[in-house]
Amino acid sequence: MSSRRVLYALGGTVAVLLVGAILHPGFASWSSLRVMLVVASFTGFVAAGQMLVVLVGGIDLSIPWVLNGAAIVLTTSSLGQTSRAPLAILLALGVGALVGLGNGMGVAWLGVPAVVMTLGMNGVMQGLTLGLSKGLTCASCGSYAPEPLRGLFDGALPAQLFLWAGVGLFMTVLLTLTTFGRRVYAVGVNPRAAFLSGVGVRGVTVALYTLSGVFAALAGIALVAYGGQPSLGLGDPYLFESIAAVVVGGVSILGGRGHYLGVIAGSLTLVAVTTFLQAQRVPEYGRLMIYGLVILAILFAYGREKAHD
Amino acid sequence: MTETSSMAPAQAEPGSETLAVRASGVDRAFGGVQALRDASFAARPGEIHALAGENGAGKSTLIKVLCGLIKADKGTVEIFGTEVSRVVEPAARRRMGVATAFQELSLLPDLTVAENLLLQDPPRGRLGLVQRRRLAPAAEEILNRYGVDDIDPRATAADLSVAQRQVVELVRVLAGEPRVVILDEPTAALADRQVDWLAGHMRRLRDAGSCVIFTSHRWREIESLADRVTVFRNGTHVATRDTLSEAEAVTLMSGRSFAGAYPQITTEPTDDNALSVTNLHSGRLAGVDFDLRRGEILGVGGLAGQGQRDLFLSLFGAQRVRRGTIAVDGKAVTIRSPKDAIRAGVGIAYVPEDRKAEGLFLPLSIRDNIAAATLSRRATAGFVNRGKERAVVKSIVDQLNIGAGRSTNRAADTLSGGNQQKVVMARWLLTEARILLLFDVTRGVDAATKHDIYELVGTLAAQGRAILYYSSETEEIAHLCHRVLVLREGRVAAELAGPVGDAERIVAASIKEGQDA
Repeated sequence: MSSRRVLYALGGTVAVLLVGAILHPGFASWSSLRVMLVVASFTGFVAAGQMLVVLVGGIDLSIPWVLNGAAIVLTTSSLGQTSRAPLAILLALGVGALVGLGNGMGVAWLGVPAVVMTLGMNGVMQGLTLGLSKGLTCASCGSYAPEPLRGLFDGALPAQLFLWAGVGLFMTVLLTLTTFGRRVYAVGVNPRAAFLSGVGVRGVTVALYTLSGVFAALAGIALVAYGGQPSLGLGDPYLFESIAAVVVGGVSILGGRGHYLGVIAGSLTLVAVTTFLQAQRVPEYGRLMIYGLVILAILFAYGREKAHD
Repeated sequence: MTETSSMAPAQAEPGSETLAVRASGVDRAFGGVQALRDASFAARPGEIHALAGENGAGKSTLIKVLCGLIKADKGTVEIFGTEVSRVVEPAARRRMGVATAFQELSLLPDLTVAENLLLQDPPRGRLGLVQRRRLAPAAEEILNRYGVDDIDPRATAADLSVAQRQVVELVRVLAGEPRVVILDEPTAALADRQVDWLAGHMRRLRDAGSCVIFTSHRWREIESLADRVTVFRNGTHVATRDTLSEAEAVTLMSGRSFAGAYPQITTEPTDDNALSVTNLHSGRLAGVDFDLRRGEILGVGGLAGQGQRDLFLSLFGAQRVRRGTIAVDGKAVTIRSPKDAIRAGVGIAYVPEDRKAEGLFLPLSIRDNIAAATLSRRATAGFVNRGKERAVVKSIVDQLNIGAGRSTNRAADTLSGGNQQKVVMARWLLTEARILLLFDVTRGVDAATKHDIYELVGTLAAQGRAILYYSSETEEIAHLCHRVLVLREGRVAAELAGPVGDAERIVAASIKEGQDA
């Protein structure tokens, strides 16, 4: 059933592209597709993390400021210098991992509901980021991302897309070929039965939240490389986007079901819809409403599908 | 959806105007599985009618169709002569006087007993608002009216034992004094005393002219309670009789026949201790000592809720041990989690009673379900060796005769209850555990599968495994076990040499000394 959902999501992408191409010549040209793919890749990164926690029935609301914080850590620690780039990247990913670890411990050991834990963590990260960067007015805050990172987006086939393909491969291998992946689905479907089958439910949960933090940081790095400089509120759209991509991609919001391939398709569909609405000159507020309706429609369709089976 | 030509009177019953419930020509499929096939059923007012059949025979589906929870794909349903096939809404049936208690307990776990009991019709004040402070007294009054005095209406449903929850569910159904009562496996979770209580109310309703329909896997209950029995097999009506012997019934239900209800214990335990428990305190357990030998089937008896579950869970590391020692093969072990218990050096497996809640990953494949406890053993650097997994799973599926010939890629929820239980057993056999904790593994399982499980338990013991066996059916413990420990108030109150044979002896030992009998 979840593989059927992947097909639905891919079909959705193709349908939007077709309609767009008919109404707007050039909508599905390579140069236009290239932009859409790059924009979708950012959603694809955060949605990878979001998907992992959703698979065990959780949610990560700390994505926006983990992303933003990691972006600022990258530029302020690298100061735009190529030689400092590797360390800066590790530092930024490390921040993401650390926050994710905190989320996971709170959820798994302290039993804090995921919504509360990650929302609180988002607030903490927002405060930390604003405080330490003095509202992005600190001495090093004007730095740019190191040059090689900005090169991620050059060329006809940008390296960023290969990075996304790499994430896709990692996610697919992790979830389908490893014992860890099997345990993730087991915990997502029935945590009590998983525990009684000897699965370290807490360990799995902590690992997933940690990975979600890392993916949010990765998106932050990619976004700051794309834009050159970080800004405040950089991550704000990505909370909604990550959840939307996961849902559109056919991952059960209750946990236990879904493939990253679907999430890729979901990210693409979202970007294609946005691009299409822009081409139709639908104003921002209209786009948000349509977005919301699309997600409700999909949840409704999946709800009915279950009722039929 | 589709109409059938109004059929000639059902094979089961003439004179539909006098019938309380009548279903004819009912088809119903789930996905690709045909749960009901041209099924017919009829029950009269003023009778207790048992619905018998193996797991997967279509009993639960028929009940859901009768009470309006699901719609038949084809066929008609009549309640007191009124055609209701098109109405799929339990509330509408309830207004017609049909009340149903389901096998899956349907109490809301976070609400109190009182809130659950009065969910549909809570006491209201002048403005139509619920008067909370009247809830508990009103519920207490209802519980007392039905002779239930050991359940606090203010307790949260989740804190009750499974048996108590079932009692509340039954009281909720009875309290409407319905004209048609449908009870799906009402006794599976109940202790003997509560079964008697329920039987009393079923008879009273019948005598008042209601139609009482129930299912049970315990033949004894069907025999003593039912005025008539309808047998289902493979989603269709096989026979309706006034009297039916157990042997006949088993043959009708399975299409096979069985020699005796319980296989003989043929092997003797060895002299080696596999498990030694000393002064164990956990949950309700207040100092339990015993030894379990290799090759021994050790029964755990006693009234419900005397710490049996605590014993099994704490030995498996799923519940904290306050005090006491556990030794495996003479060496003390520390078991803090099921993971520790499964570990090769310890080798303890626990098969739970409630396979849906504690055993299965229903939407996942049969293979994933079976492989779940032994993933690491077939993995290299964290990667599952799929070829090996497929081979191992296939061999155990064949060995236990699980849904023979079908693909192990199918989701576990497409299997019947008996096969699902075998899937859980298969998972634990793969761990090669030498100590098996079997907790009420035959609950809600059909006669044929029960028989398979008894034989399997015997074989496992013959292989030298040590088995701790609990069942809510005291009969089973009386026949299958080499030795029986009777628990009372968290301690071993008596030890009986087996096979005990007569279940009454276990019951007697359970209630001796100042117990209210």
